[in-house]
Amino acid sequence: MSNSAVGPIYDSIISEVINSVRVDFEETGVDESALEDLKKLWQSKLSQMNIAQFPWDPKPDPPPAPADANAPAASGAPGAPPSGAASYTQSSLTPQPSAQGLTLPGSMMPASNGVPIKTEAGYSAEPAIKQEPGLTTPMIPAYNPANGARATAAQRAAMALENQFGQRAAASINALQNGMAAPQQQPQQQPQQVDPQQQYRQNLAASMQQRMQQQAPRPPNGLPTSQMDGTGDAAADQEDQPAAAAIPDRAEIDAHLHAQLLARAKEMEGGGLMVPLRKAVKDDRSIARKSGGDGTGQLDGPDEDMDGDEDAINSDLDDPDEAADDDDDDEDEMGHMMLCLYDKVQRVKNKWKCILKDGVLTVNNKEYVFHKATGEYEW
Amino acid sequence: MAAPNSYYDLYRHGSLGVALTDSLDELIGDERIDPQLAMKVLTQFDRVIAETLQEKVKARLTFKGSLDTYRFCDEVWTFLIRNVTFKLDNGAQTIQADKVKIVSCSSKKTEDK
Repeated sequence: MSNSAVGPIYDSIISEVINSVRVDFEETGVDESALEDLKKLWQSKLSQMNIAQFPWDPKPDPPPAPADANAPAASGAPGAPPSGAASYTQSSLTPQPSAQGLTLPGSMMPASNGVPIKTEAGYSAEPAIKQEPGLTTPMIPAYNPANGARATAAQRAAMALENQFGQRAAASINALQNGMAAPQQQPQQQPQQVDPQQQYRQNLAASMQQRMQQQAPRPPNGLPTSQMDGTGDAAADQEDQPAAAAIPDRAEIDAHLHAQLLARAKEMEGGGLMVPLRKAVKDDRSIARKSGGDGTGQLDGPDEDMDGDEDAINSDLDDPDEAADDDDDDEDEMGHMMLCLYDKVQRVKNKWKCILKDGVLTVNNKEYVFHKATGEYEW
Repeated sequence: MAAPNSYYDLYRHGSLGVALTDSLDELIGDERIDPQLAMKVLTQFDRVIAETLQEKVKARLTFKGSLDTYRFCDEVWTFLIRNVTFKLDNGAQTIQADKVKIVSCSSKKTEDK
């Protein structure tokens, strides 16, 4: 059935597009995380359309599709795919992949872990969480999205540290609260982690919880919209985290704390003056708008060009039709539309016959792809 | 790789293309990529979806209905068909729709290149 084919086909299209523009992203000097975000956005938007079952969605009854660990992100629901249950033993045996999977279930935005996750597609996030159920419980009070939304990353880190290490973490917490420079933090952190394995596992759980808290409250696009500095911060986070995820245990935690401290430091700095970042950003933003208006007209120009382009296409294909048929408006959105190539269109009197190919058909909110279609209709 | 212009951009109007365009718009809005880069992504998309549909999709379908409007302009056929019945290849499934718009470009162009 061609509807079930849509998922894998679209998945392969997405991967291929993403891979083939990777060079362009690099050449333009755009951070790779933007590319990953593009993929995530693309997939989640498709999922929202609900036109087919996609491999990255969580499935009630999964066709084989290798459990793509991005699944929870797309729907926001951390359903436990059966395939994930199957890999439970594997993930509990090997701490490294499970550590990478840990952040995923609650998070809206696993982009930060996108790269390593893809290579570990077999390890679903859910069972990894279950691995140490006891360890997560002490953290639960801190994991309140409502609180988390308000607390800064550093505060949360401090909270987590306190929960985890109590008195011993006092130094680290002080450091966090004073916004000390990150490099100083790392040596302090080291001695604590030269601990037995149990300690290490707790560390893992702690860092996992921190990340969940960090990521859960974010909006789906994961970025404070229209904050120039804000995006930069997020990008920095995302750079750090995959790197951290690749290296297990204390290196990971160190890097994570490092990132948080950096974020904290940036917040304190607020663009060089001791201004809270939010205010500074507002200023930045208005400046950027102005400069976008006159100086860097290029930034705005092509944007409008592109819109213009699309309009042009619309007017070629759609607009006249919409003018003719008044109720065509919703067709792009919900509608019944077939985009395809034609091999042959024949007419005898009022009978039409056409042979179409390589098409995408959207009908009744379901998407179908076909290689060849023949249609007969009377006018 | 073929020249970017040798692929239709009609699939951008499908759900996959719309989702991509929206995502790109969002990234542009956040100033994480610039519009030129987005255009490159879209041209790659044009190529990839055309090739993928051509190479990987095997399904066939037939449909019948009554033609409401037809138009042939710039090598593009546009049909508006009412009371359509689609039959998927295995015959087991039929889909009904009261109206479907078909936008169809010539397959010659892609074969020529």
